[in-house]
Amino acid sequence: MNEGLGGLRASDADREQAVEVLKAAFVQDRLAKAEFEAHVGRALASRTYAELAAATAGIPAPLSTVQPPGAPSTMAEQRTRRKISQAELAEALGVSRQTVISIENGRYTPSLPLAFTIARFFGQTVDGMFA
Amino acid sequence: MMTFIPPRLRKPAVYVLAGLLFAAAWLVQGGHLWFVSIMAVIGTAAGAVRLYRLGGTDTDEGARAGSRTDERQQLVSLRSRALACNLAAATSFLGLTAAIAVKAAWGWPFLVTFLITGYGYLLGLGNYGVAEEGTPDDADTGRQTRPPVRS
Repeated sequence: MNEGLGGLRASDADREQAVEVLKAAFVQDRLAKAEFEAHVGRALASRTYAELAAATAGIPAPLSTVQPPGAPSTMAEQRTRRKISQAELAEALGVSRQTVISIENGRYTPSLPLAFTIARFFGQTVDGMFA
Repeated sequence: MMTFIPPRLRKPAVYVLAGLLFAAAWLVQGGHLWFVSIMAVIGTAAGAVRLYRLGGTDTDEGARAGSRTDERQQLVSLRSRALACNLAAATSFLGLTAAIAVKAAWGWPFLVTFLITGYGYLLGLGNYGVAEEGTPDDADTGRQTRPPVRS
């Protein structure tokens, strides 16, 4: 989560998203029932992104999708995490390298088919990538 | 026809065609400026080579020159064409107005340009927009459709 944005107020949708991730972690036996209930309680009581992040601390990856509005596109994060170059990603998506750069910099919003292609490539949802 | 030409050669081919037509026009007129056609052919050849080389570069301009644009580059191109058309329409209207004001005979090209841009716009609406309004949902369900304004 970005430094300096943690003080922003979290929305109901963000809290629900965090609870969904906690549920997934519980189903996968990553959390005991007592831990799950405690985490959910804290997530629902969270008022800011920082509190939400604390409530979901220690839970693996999907929680990084809980981002405050205005945060950079996750496409760049996903790409660097997978150690893929912009040119390689562009080739995989069937677009130009310049378009990948434009999307990552937030200067171009991809069409719905391209957004789905990108989300599918990274194994994410369109919401998770571009919301 | 264009699909038979490799993408990178398409723009240079159109450029060569236009350049040769331009050169032919100078040659056909037969005046003392016939040598302009030779210059036009040389300029066309140089321009086509430059366009072909540009088509191989990894840039937005290269993608356009090489006819391999993606959706963003097509959108940029579309917006640029729309801007060019708007400018053509505005300029032709101003030219026509000026020609009328000074009772000049040179106003008709402005009129033709203005009519073509206007007709082109209406043609675009017909092809890409108006025809896709479809029927309202109520027509499908058989329910009574209320008019938007009651008389």
